[in-house]
Amino acid sequence: MSLRTLACLVAALISAPTLAAAQSRSMFSNLANPSIGMNALFSGQAAHNLNQPYGLHFDEAEISLISVVDPYWTLTSNIVFVGDGSVDPEEVWVRNTSIPSIQLKLGKIRGTFGKHGMLHTHAFPFIQAPVIMANTIGNEGFKDAGLEAAWLTPLPWFAELTGGIYEGIATDADHPLDFGSTRHDNVPFLDHFKNQFDLNDATTLEIGQSYLQGRGSDGFVHSALGADVTFRNVPPKDSNRRGWILQGEYIQKGSTAGGSYHKEEHGGYASFQYRLSQVWWAGIRGEQAQDSFTDFLVDGAGDPVRGKVTRGNANIEWMPSEFSFLRFEYSHAKADNGAGINPTDDRFMVQMSYTIGYHPAHAY
Amino acid sequence: MKLPIRWMLVSIAGLLAAAPAYADLKVATSLTDLASVAQFVGGKHVTAQSLCRGYEDPHFVPAKPSLMKAIQHADVFVSVGLELDGGWLPLVLPGSRNPKIQPGAKGFVDASEGVDVLEKPTGTVSRAEGDIHPLGNPHYYADPKALEVVADHLAEVFSRLDAPNAADYAANAKAFDEKMEASLARWEKEMAPYKGAPIVTYHKNFIYFAERFGLKQFGTVEPKPGIPPTPRHLAELAATMKQAGAKAVVYQPYYSAEASRELATKAGGVAVEIATEAGGLPGTDDVFSKFDVLVSSVAKALSGKSGGAQ
Repeated sequence: MSLRTLACLVAALISAPTLAAAQSRSMFSNLANPSIGMNALFSGQAAHNLNQPYGLHFDEAEISLISVVDPYWTLTSNIVFVGDGSVDPEEVWVRNTSIPSIQLKLGKIRGTFGKHGMLHTHAFPFIQAPVIMANTIGNEGFKDAGLEAAWLTPLPWFAELTGGIYEGIATDADHPLDFGSTRHDNVPFLDHFKNQFDLNDATTLEIGQSYLQGRGSDGFVHSALGADVTFRNVPPKDSNRRGWILQGEYIQKGSTAGGSYHKEEHGGYASFQYRLSQVWWAGIRGEQAQDSFTDFLVDGAGDPVRGKVTRGNANIEWMPSEFSFLRFEYSHAKADNGAGINPTDDRFMVQMSYTIGYHPAHAY
Repeated sequence: MKLPIRWMLVSIAGLLAAAPAYADLKVATSLTDLASVAQFVGGKHVTAQSLCRGYEDPHFVPAKPSLMKAIQHADVFVSVGLELDGGWLPLVLPGSRNPKIQPGAKGFVDASEGVDVLEKPTGTVSRAEGDIHPLGNPHYYADPKALEVVADHLAEVFSRLDAPNAADYAANAKAFDEKMEASLARWEKEMAPYKGAPIVTYHKNFIYFAERFGLKQFGTVEPKPGIPPTPRHLAELAATMKQAGAKAVVYQPYYSAEASRELATKAGGVAVEIATEAGGLPGTDDVFSKFDVLVSSVAKALSGKSGGAQ
């Protein structure tokens, strides 16, 4: 080893603590970093009539970042990494609560329409979303860039009136509603009226009405209307062990041309979830969707066709902690296109959800 | 015609001038104990209400829209802090659409400020240890002295928001502290025979009480925070309780009485329902009566005279 090499080594050893100290005194603070969380969702499905392999697959990983921007805004973002490799900035919005009784949301938002449409995928009470969702406002609800204002009215109970305007976008896999007109007067809008009453110490009743409208690339006015009712029971002494949810929702999609309204896909569901203990939930759901598409209703060439879809689901969920669950679900469905295609469908499903980091509670 | 208009103007002016005299501070809290302290400190100038009931698990309050409505016009919101209400408050507070009580506003109070927090995690925080509180144990309201800190803190906040009545708030806080000190002396005397006695609780929400009165937290019915008890855990804990002579198991109204009684039966001890939050049991309407009942219940449980696994 040469003298020069030795000198370099000694110099490096002497300077090492100085470098380490410099790195620990970084000029970049992480104290104001956002709250970070992630949910990973996996599922498996066995359905004899579908041309799909059985097995487990990765559905999505949702990364959420939430932080106060400044004294006026709080930013929430949910970036979803989908199993097919794509990335969906599902929600990126800011909220302002500086105006008394008004909440403003601006950005890429989940439009306030109905009940099921407000849920993140990992918060769905059943593995499958109701068939009517994908046929009307979107399997995961109406997601679009826009501005919403929600007014908590002075009525003596919780009565919230929400109005929103959104970007006009054409039909795609996530947006069954065609709002793709390029006319300057095409500003899709929404109204939602939600009322919640405490029936007693444990049980609440929520009634909601939603309406969404915009102009399509065909020049017609396209719209969706919805109504929902939810009874929910959470006994105060057993808020983490007992309770039930009875919910029903109806959604109708339609279009208006030449002054006449044409009803398109429509249907709804009724579900009942029961909490058996701190870690066990069970649920059943019945639903029907008219003039709708679903994955097992196809013609001889394998192309999807419209029809009436009736389906029942039953599931049981094991939730060992607040941050994970394992769910088993069975569904039986039948469909009829009115022209001789009337398949049935039976499937067994399993779903696993894991959450790390900060994850805010889901809406009541 | 001129006379009625003049009378109306005078009346309106009179009402406007008189308004501040009737202006109460509307205070909402996440816990009944905080509402009780706020009411004592605020006296006639304050109306205080709690969103969580005394017999409800403060970790798992459903974020009902009606709670948002209840605080839509509150002037002050007092959070227990240390993330005890972190599962539901982030929904309820913004949902109220009340800018006066959002975190960072003058009307938002973190009641844990100034409290000596116990069980602050050191090193890595991991949920492998269950649903732990990363900022420390938030159940400080089981310590009478901690509530004195809260009372003094609230007096400062109320005085800032309602300066004309500041003297009343200061006097009320002083009276609260004096009453609490006098009561504490009585409770300490009642608990003195049990210094060093082991006690088993359902959840780790009794450590402040145990520290104050010299009890030894022996174990918990749930194996880890937020994880329900398993037969194996109960059997193992019962065996160690027998070896150590630990006989008292206490649980709040919102925890499983069955698991607590099963453990007590196996250990040959007693299981007693207690209220660590005001309103949790009959006769615990405010923080003073809560501690009266709590001290009495725990003392009887430790003496083997109360409760029972039957």
